Amino acid sequence: MKSKTIEKSQNNIGVLEEHPLGVQPRFKVGDRVQLRDMPYFFYTRSQMWARGVVGTIAALTYSDLVPEDEAFNVDGRVEQYYIVRFRQKDVWADYPFENDTIQTESPERWLEPIS
Amino acid sequence: MTDTPKYGSSGADQCHKAAPTVGEITDFEILEIALRELAIERGLFTADDHRRFTEFAESIGPAGGSRLVAKIWTDPAFKARAMEDPVKACLEIGIDWSKPTGFGTPSDYTHLTILENTPTLHHVITCTLCSCYPRPLLGMSPEWYRTTNYRRRLPRWPRQVLAEFGLILPPEVEVRVEDSNQKCRFMVLPVRPEGTENWTEEQLAEIVTRDCMIGVALPRPGKTADVHPVHKARRPVQSSHHEGAAR
Amino acid sequence: MSSRTELSQEREIIGTLQPAIHLPQNWNYEVTGAQYRALMHPPHDVGGQFDFSIQHEEKEEEQWELNTYVTCEVLAWRGFWTAEERRRRADNDLGYTMYLGFPYYGRWIWSAARMLVDKKHFSLAELMEKFAEVKSRYEK
Repeated sequence: MKSKTIEKSQNNIGVLEEHPLGVQPRFKVGDRVQLRDMPYFFYTRSQMWARGVVGTIAALTYSDLVPEDEAFNVDGRVEQYYIVRFRQKDVWADYPFENDTIQTESPERWLEPIS
Repeated sequence: MTDTPKYGSSGADQCHKAAPTVGEITDFEILEIALRELAIERGLFTADDHRRFTEFAESIGPAGGSRLVAKIWTDPAFKARAMEDPVKACLEIGIDWSKPTGFGTPSDYTHLTILENTPTLHHVITCTLCSCYPRPLLGMSPEWYRTTNYRRRLPRWPRQVLAEFGLILPPEVEVRVEDSNQKCRFMVLPVRPEGTENWTEEQLAEIVTRDCMIGVALPRPGKTADVHPVHKARRPVQSSHHEGAAR
Repeated sequence: MSSRTELSQEREIIGTLQPAIHLPQNWNYEVTGAQYRALMHPPHDVGGQFDFSIQHEEKEEEQWELNTYVTCEVLAWRGFWTAEERRRRADNDLGYTMYLGFPYYGRWIWSAARMLVDKKHFSLAELMEKFAEVKSRYEK
């Protein structure tokens, strides 16, 4: 017995693939995005520190299920993942160093475009 | 390595030469044995499955990452290939991210991203949500990497945490925290230090320690080991070639 | 014991004496919006929380911890769960107290047991009987 979700998530070897499995990414490198502050029930991998912060798409990585689906063995929609980069000064009100940054990965549905 | 069988319904307690008293064995150990025996009895997996994956877990360690960095430092064409497709480049140095299942480990996936340091950019890695780590390339994660303490503080006070590891960077250097929260796995590619001109790949690999590839240390000529206090186990892993946390 | 050692122990204990306001919880009739969010907050999302400066130490691995890691991975290899489900169970489902109170691999083995019972691969009663049987082997 092999889980469908394992097979799906192991399809992509390497990084920075574009348009795998027919997924059309909404964002490209350099786009400004904001992490949506959706309410959390039971499980999420979208961190509190990043919610509502505006950042920049640093890379496209792969496409896969969202963790909220995969964690419950739901074969939901496959979507693009991105590395999003933020200025530390935008994340923490009292962060003292001008140049420092922090980045993390996010599935597409958690991101909103910022013009 | 002893010949004592470790697995199977009658073999589980042969790990321990003398039967410990109830006070010495923990309920976690008992639960682990009970669950594994039940699972094997019910045919959920075999003792051979368990043994094969154990061999994989015991075969991985930071040496793979060290060799990858050393080759990137000395071979510009390899570097270009590695930055373009890190997982494929790992194959060239004998690290196969698809092992041992054929589709990768269930926890580590097959998406490796190399974070390249420069003189003005320093990366450091954490997984604030759990402790995601590039096991096929660097082996099992160190205990400090898994603690809530490190995961709480690194994203917000990275320079303070790095200072505790003995690494202090000038304010002009951009410290970039990588919060490894999804399926990408990350490795820091440190800047090749001065004083290593004309070194061989083997010599270079020796100074690329695990801490350098997480980002809490910089490689230096003469520094070939990460030194941390070690909390000893009560009943440590019984294997002659286990690459445990104490390295 | 030297007086320096005693002083050091005393200093450590003094450092842990902190005033605290305890809010008894017993099915409050109402919670504020912020309290609701805090109570719903996934325990594993710790980035940015305060903590103290500590010695960053290594730990020698216990045999049961390696076995636990392997069991959890093999269960995923054979399709019984994904690593993502393991994280959901081990890092969120058991709640704040056990999340912070259990050892790291204690949460792994607990979540594997819970998953197998939830998915009816064996019953809780069977697990309890097996646990008692294994425990009795060590009661010599």
